[in-house]
Amino acid sequence: MRKTALWVQALVLLLFIALFFVLHLALPDRAFSQQENRMLQTLPDFRLSALFQGTFTQRFESYITDQFPLRDGWTAMKARAELAAGKDSNNDIYLCDGDTLLETYTAPDATELRYRVEAVNALADSAGVPVYFALIPSAAALHADLLPVGAPNDSQRTTIDFAYANVQARTVNVYDALSAHRDEAIYYRTDHHWTTLGAYYGYTALAEAMGFEPVPLADYTETLVTDAFYGSAWSASGFSWVPPDRISSYVEQGGAVITNYPKNQPEPGTMYDASKLELLNKYPYFFGGNTPLMTIETGNDDAPSLLILRDSYMDSLSPYLLPHFSTIHILDLRYYQTSLKAYLAAHPVDQILVCYNVNNFSQDGNIFLAAG
Amino acid sequence: MVFSSLLFMFVYLPVVLAVYYLVPRRWRNLWLFIVNLVFYAWGEPVYVLLMLFSICINYATGILVERHRDRRKKAKAILIADIVVNLAMLGFFKYYNLFAATLSAIPGLRIPKLDLALPIGISFYTFQTMSYPIDVYRGDAAVQRSFISFGTFVALFPQLIAGPIVRYKDIADQLGFRAGNIDQFASGVRRFTVGLAKKVLLANNIGMLWDLIKARSAPELTVLGAWMGILAFSMQIYFDFSGYSDMAIGLGRMLGFEFLENFNYPYISKSITEFWRRWHISLGTWFRDYVYIPLGGNRRGTGRQFLNLLIVWALTGFWHGANWTFLCWGLYYALFLMLEKAFLLKKLEKLPALGTVYALLVVICGWVLFDLPGLADAGRYYAAMFGGAGGGLASAADLFYLKNYALTLCVGVLACLPCWKTLYARLAPRPKAVLTPVLLAAALVLSTAYLVAGTYNPFLYFIF
Repeated sequence: MRKTALWVQALVLLLFIALFFVLHLALPDRAFSQQENRMLQTLPDFRLSALFQGTFTQRFESYITDQFPLRDGWTAMKARAELAAGKDSNNDIYLCDGDTLLETYTAPDATELRYRVEAVNALADSAGVPVYFALIPSAAALHADLLPVGAPNDSQRTTIDFAYANVQARTVNVYDALSAHRDEAIYYRTDHHWTTLGAYYGYTALAEAMGFEPVPLADYTETLVTDAFYGSAWSASGFSWVPPDRISSYVEQGGAVITNYPKNQPEPGTMYDASKLELLNKYPYFFGGNTPLMTIETGNDDAPSLLILRDSYMDSLSPYLLPHFSTIHILDLRYYQTSLKAYLAAHPVDQILVCYNVNNFSQDGNIFLAAG
Repeated sequence: MVFSSLLFMFVYLPVVLAVYYLVPRRWRNLWLFIVNLVFYAWGEPVYVLLMLFSICINYATGILVERHRDRRKKAKAILIADIVVNLAMLGFFKYYNLFAATLSAIPGLRIPKLDLALPIGISFYTFQTMSYPIDVYRGDAAVQRSFISFGTFVALFPQLIAGPIVRYKDIADQLGFRAGNIDQFASGVRRFTVGLAKKVLLANNIGMLWDLIKARSAPELTVLGAWMGILAFSMQIYFDFSGYSDMAIGLGRMLGFEFLENFNYPYISKSITEFWRRWHISLGTWFRDYVYIPLGGNRRGTGRQFLNLLIVWALTGFWHGANWTFLCWGLYYALFLMLEKAFLLKKLEKLPALGTVYALLVVICGWVLFDLPGLADAGRYYAAMFGGAGGGLASAADLFYLKNYALTLCVGVLACLPCWKTLYARLAPRPKAVLTPVLLAAALVLSTAYLVAGTYNPFLYFIF
């Protein structure tokens, strides 16, 4: 009996490690994780040089971790364990009332923020055309009341006020426009982006700053695109039981001609890329997702032209801009590798808009490229 | 490679164990020698050569010392040369940049910094390899003629990178024949699993609280926050390090080795003297055997004993890292040990409850010095702990952290107590036979979930 008990103990460990060793070999490797929304490491090629640089062993270790059998299930188990242990969050994502997933905001220090604003100022100085500057708050600002009391969450309002006080561009009051509608579904529950409705209110703020008359919301028809959108916060959190979001669209592409430059070469683009609806993270449905450069010929040749420096929040907003501009150049400095100055010289525009989410503006190093 | 990784647990370990038990007994050491090198070279493809060099010179020194056993002077000269080489290696790779930076502070002196990464485990394996020629010289151990067996001793993966520091004489017999049976194997499984859970479930989680609090700047730091933070670090470092030792001892047993214990419930100590008999025992033993006693220990009068204590604790502190704060941390303990030797210990014996509180306070305050990067940072942190930083008593954020970490901290405090071990030992065989595998499975599954999910898996003792 006693020996049997000891064998049982030994076998618990041995079978457990052997089981997952064998399962890994038996199960096919995945190239992409839908849940994590990223490429997974596949079996790395063995090269002696890579071995001595340590890159082979690193990649092999990532390969084991990324391809671990039932990876998504384990992640969810850990998320549940964290909640059971009394935590309000997992991987820095808070699970709030109404299955809302919130990511809190950490403000950069004043010097860092000033540098970032200076980059916009440098652009405003040299552009020779009006430059507009819009910072979009994330859900953690307008829905801060959903967060647990005392959760560390810096004020995005303070960041915006500081940036606007120091910027030499024309500022856009997105915060108040969103705030007036904070009880509507202006943010996704499972994603860090604003919804198409939230983007509409952002558009009204832009209209006010730029001096054009926005199309009333009532003139649009809301189209439900999908009710199975699992956003980035859902992916990061591991709270895989949280139900998905709905995506709606309001604007039709109409006669607008969209050209995408994924690798410097023009390719026909689209306002709505239905192929992206097959993914769990369906936000790239708008314009097909992140791209270095995109142009929209709206057909309104009498209207001014516009260049936008932006992050992915703009994907939901740009459709609304169609009636008010002739050509819109949409440039993402995170991916655009060529000089902004050279681009502006080759494509003169009437107005420039720098539009970022507060989080991205606070963190993304590529904003400095705006200075040219 | 670290034990608390999926690669180790689900690839390396099954392969190592399977081959180890399938090949003929006489090939087991060779297999261990090979896999030890793979284990080490995994993270250090270049520095593995340094470790091989260390193995070679100490192996050769052992044989030379043995050959000149009758001519003590010559044997001693060889031994001293070997110790100098060992310490020079450790000194260069671990402390060069610290000394360069410190000396460069002298006007007119410029010593360039070198781009050196600290070879993993060098502090541990240098001490371990050095113990061998000393033991041979003293006649405490027989010379090891098999290079493979000696290499296996030095590079034995369970204790290679974070101890326990195995003295050669403690393991010499096991390098030849290891019986190995299911009792030993099963106890190894239990020990490994306990260590894994301590590291992955407790240390890593509690460590996140310390990271959060450490990141807050002085004016924001409240009294409650500061105490919560350093309490969290006290538990993190204990569960991290003792968990790793548990895993090492467990893995050793699975391969038929018995290592000495490294931790024995240090936080229940009633004095600092007792604490250091319970904390990182193998390091304390090493310094006692190879430094304190050779210096004369306590046999040459109180004045000399205090000097010896100062030397040993300065070295112990400095061993922990290339930063002067570690030296201060060592001397801080020397101070309390001297006070206790002088009079305090006798007083504390009459008041054991007070002793526990005193020892805990000293140890916890010591960790501030240990983990903060500079003396000024430590000073600010002490000020915050005792209300002198202007952050107030508590903030909403503290209460938020307290709520979020309450359960983890409670489990942590309970896990520092020895009562669970006693309770388990008293369990009747039948419930024990059911409960043990259930607990083992639960710990393995939950730890695996945390390992898969967690990118947060830093291993603290790597830097020492």
